[in-house]
Amino acid sequence: MKFLDEYRDGAIARALAAQIRRTATRRWVLMEVCGGQTHTIVKQGLDELLGDAVEMIHGPGCPVCVTPLEQIDKALELASRPDVIFTSFGDMLRVPGSECDLLQVRARGGTVRIVYSPLDALDLAVRNPGRQVVFFAVGFETTAPANAMAVWRARELGIPNFSVLVSHVTVPPAMVALLSDPANRVQGFLAAGHVCTVMGWTEYEPIAVGFKVPIIVTGFEPLDILEGIHLAVRQLEEGRYEVENQYARAVTREGTVPARTLVERVFQLADRKWRGIGEIPASGLALRDEFAAFDAERRFTLGTASVAEPAECRAGAVLRGQLKPHQCPAFGRSCTPEHPLGAPMVSSEGACAAYYNYGRFRAPEPVEAT
Amino acid sequence: MCLGIPGRVVEVHDDRGLAMGVVDFGGVRREVCLAYIADEVQPGDYALVHVGFAISRIDEAEARRTFEALREMSQLDELDWLREVAARELAELQERATP
Ligand code: SF4
Repeated sequence: MKFLDEYRDGAIARALAAQIRRTATRRWVLMEVCGGQTHTIVKQGLDELLGDAVEMIHGPGCPVCVTPLEQIDKALELASRPDVIFTSFGDMLRVPGSECDLLQVRARGGTVRIVYSPLDALDLAVRNPGRQVVFFAVGFETTAPANAMAVWRARELGIPNFSVLVSHVTVPPAMVALLSDPANRVQGFLAAGHVCTVMGWTEYEPIAVGFKVPIIVTGFEPLDILEGIHLAVRQLEEGRYEVENQYARAVTREGTVPARTLVERVFQLADRKWRGIGEIPASGLALRDEFAAFDAERRFTLGTASVAEPAECRAGAVLRGQLKPHQCPAFGRSCTPEHPLGAPMVSSEGACAAYYNYGRFRAPEPVEAT
Repeated sequence: MCLGIPGRVVEVHDDRGLAMGVVDFGGVRREVCLAYIADEVQPGDYALVHVGFAISRIDEAEARRTFEALREMSQLDELDWLREVAARELAELQERATP
């Protein structure tokens, strides 16, 4: 316990926040990309500690939230097939597709299994040679090395009844898309420390320079975040725009090279649609042609209809940082964690769920005219 | 699935050419792929594990602090998935054992 004490220490947090307020000569707008950081900020009330010095916008850093409806529908279709054992990380099970979610498909007789590691799914394929085992390969750079290895192993061991439904997204292109939006308000980023343990931060360097935004690689604990914010504010005040590493205890500039290497051998960059945001060029990963045999979308004929999001859900504006979750009219009324309308309310990493779960916000707030 | 969970490497072995190991996450143990940091870890070391894959080595103090922080934030869902997989495998074994 004593390890966390200094980090949980309110006095240090308040001192850091005071330092940030002293450093800032005006109000700066920063975005934390990672859903884990969003939770820390909302749960610990860091946004309130910062006063007028900094406004935090909550970014699209929750892979569950940004997986497009079409991919969820494909997952539902696969999971409904009697010949398929559909496998997924636990947090995808309650994400609403256009008709239902994976839990409901399971209740109706589909075989849906939670796995901890994609290698568990591969194992299931070995043990069930008469069924097709499909794994829902979602996530950011943190899950890509695991999913890449599962496909690599499937080929190496010659497992014919294993395939993956890929919906991988990568962080830097989303940052570029946000910064290129004329409505962008973000002046600096906290980059997700755990993503950078895999990838390092070389990809962020041209973004920091090109768009003149400080990018701080930051951990997810309260003092990490305040320190990250302080470094960003200091750069902005001094007119510097660099990548800085707050999370040196876990992250190096190059990341984990063997993991990056395998991800590059198995996957290639692909255009991806982000739920609520739309298509972002080269913002995701797809299997390379030499692994096509393991691509569920090529193995099965799946519906491709493009589907509309529920009109009430403002997830797009929330994920772009243009609306705070409690400013969505459905928030806390027709949309709650028990009955989510949109993915940011489903996932424990989603911004809407963070606002709701910590009880600081329970009902929608009228949106100010802008 | 975005925050890695720290654990202590208890044992290291090879599964048909893939470096694997048993990792202890605050009392819950399971198989983890060590291939990406195979040269850096041995039993007793701590690593940050993402969905069953060790991604980076960290020191013990960092591991403990991160684990407590995750617990504090209720961000240890992955350990529930892990328990679900373990329970299912046990049930399957029992099913096979009963004729
Ligand atoms: S509160 Fe619900 S409906 Fe509103 S944006 Fe969030 S997920 Fe969508």
